[in-house]
Amino acid sequence: MLHINRLKRTFNNNQAGFQNINFSVDKGEIIGILGTSGCGKSTLLRVLSGLDPNYEGKISSKDGNDNIGMMFQEPRLLPWLSVKDNISFGLEKEERKSNKYQTYLDLVGLSGFDQHYPKDLSGGMAQRTAIARALITEPEVLLLDEPFSALDAFTKMQLQDLLLSIWQKKQTTMLLVTHDIDEALYLCDRIFILKGQPGEVFAEVAVEKPKPRTRGDAYLSKQKAHILNLLNVEKKAAGDEQ
Amino acid sequence: MISETQKWKAGERATAAKLLSPKGLFKKGRGIVLGSILPVVLLIAWELAAKAGLLAPHLLPAPSVILEKIMSMYRDGSLFGHVSITLTRVFLGFAIGTGAAVVVGAVVGYAKTAEQLLDPLFQAVRSIPSLAWVPLFILWMGIGEPSKISLIAVGVFFPVYLNIVAGIQGVDRKLIEVGKIYQLSPFQLTKRIILPAALPSFITGMRSGLGLGWMFVVAAELMGASEGLGYLLVVGQNTYSPDTVIASILLFAVLGKVTDSVLKWIEYRSLKWQDSISNQA
Repeated sequence: MLHINRLKRTFNNNQAGFQNINFSVDKGEIIGILGTSGCGKSTLLRVLSGLDPNYEGKISSKDGNDNIGMMFQEPRLLPWLSVKDNISFGLEKEERKSNKYQTYLDLVGLSGFDQHYPKDLSGGMAQRTAIARALITEPEVLLLDEPFSALDAFTKMQLQDLLLSIWQKKQTTMLLVTHDIDEALYLCDRIFILKGQPGEVFAEVAVEKPKPRTRGDAYLSKQKAHILNLLNVEKKAAGDEQ
Repeated sequence: MISETQKWKAGERATAAKLLSPKGLFKKGRGIVLGSILPVVLLIAWELAAKAGLLAPHLLPAPSVILEKIMSMYRDGSLFGHVSITLTRVFLGFAIGTGAAVVVGAVVGYAKTAEQLLDPLFQAVRSIPSLAWVPLFILWMGIGEPSKISLIAVGVFFPVYLNIVAGIQGVDRKLIEVGKIYQLSPFQLTKRIILPAALPSFITGMRSGLGLGWMFVVAAELMGASEGLGYLLVVGQNTYSPDTVIASILLFAVLGKVTDSVLKWIEYRSLKWQDSISNQA
């Protein structure tokens, strides 16, 4: 449903960004994009979300629907709006006044917090609100840019489970940028490993295990070793060049 | 999640209880008492010194004499006239100055070209001392109300303008990106993200603008008026009556404080969402 063809966006005389990215995403898939920092993975999401229009190549979605949801590393809630109004932010004017937000408030486990302001929320709760805001417009594709990297380990696991349970209910297609190998293995169906500057897809790892998975499962550990190995190759290659 | 929520709720209960407890009320009352000790002691010392003949009554009359002066103006009805005309001038000048600053500040803050075009001029005009405008405005508009109100409006304009521009330019790019994800038009982006985000600095600008408005109304009324608190200052000076001068200074202080409190209250009401020291519940 989402096809990306020879996508390229570089900065600083082709020293940063990414190039030659080709992949397609099927409906309901969770795709992970893994890579060390500086390989252009966040830039890729900015291009896909439309925040960065200066790219080359082609992005096409089957339905021609450009309804995209995005979650950032920070919650990016509007501090002057209550949780309720933050969740409803992306809706049209009439819908904002309805109580459509209630479904999503319950979905992310924040029932009863609708009148609170962001300043009164913990990091995890703020990120839950951001999830609800991203989902309420029922996006075709949900783009997640390291959404849990600023959270503590426990909150992170809770929110990963929350994301999975939402996926089970709504079958939302997701594109998850992360630098956490365990997170990618726990959530994703396929993982693209980006390497280089500018970054290119270096390898694709399929995680053929039905979700929900068990953390620390033997198969996932094996895949993790495989991915680490792939990333190590990069290190060696860099060492050889010097 | 449950632990997170419970933790939060426990925190909320604790702070709410703290506010409502006698101890919390005592704390608030203590602030007021502490703040008024020094003024009360000074007033009493002043009164006693005047009564004992230590202060020359033609230079610094006793507080009771000043109060009596205000009461007599209240009884003969002239107090209301002076206060209301001064308030009207400040209010009109403030409204005009703020209105102009909102329009110009929004354009300058939002459009780079407008900033390059207009900002250097405004910065230059801003550095002209307020009193330098008085003769020019009187030449242009005569000695009546328009020149006075224009002078006040000019004074109010600059702080409001500067703060609006700074507020708009300081809006977090990350929040604007949220709006762009939802494909908001420039107008919607301004209305739903930029203006609310710039509101705190707009209100700061209004408060310092109001302060300057009070300064400029004195300048305007000193120059030529037949009514108003500034006019009372002149009358007091010319008739050697320090009680009139001090009475009008006192009235300026009270009015300035009251109008600022109104803005402060609006600030509190509209910025409850801010995560600041003063908002800690």
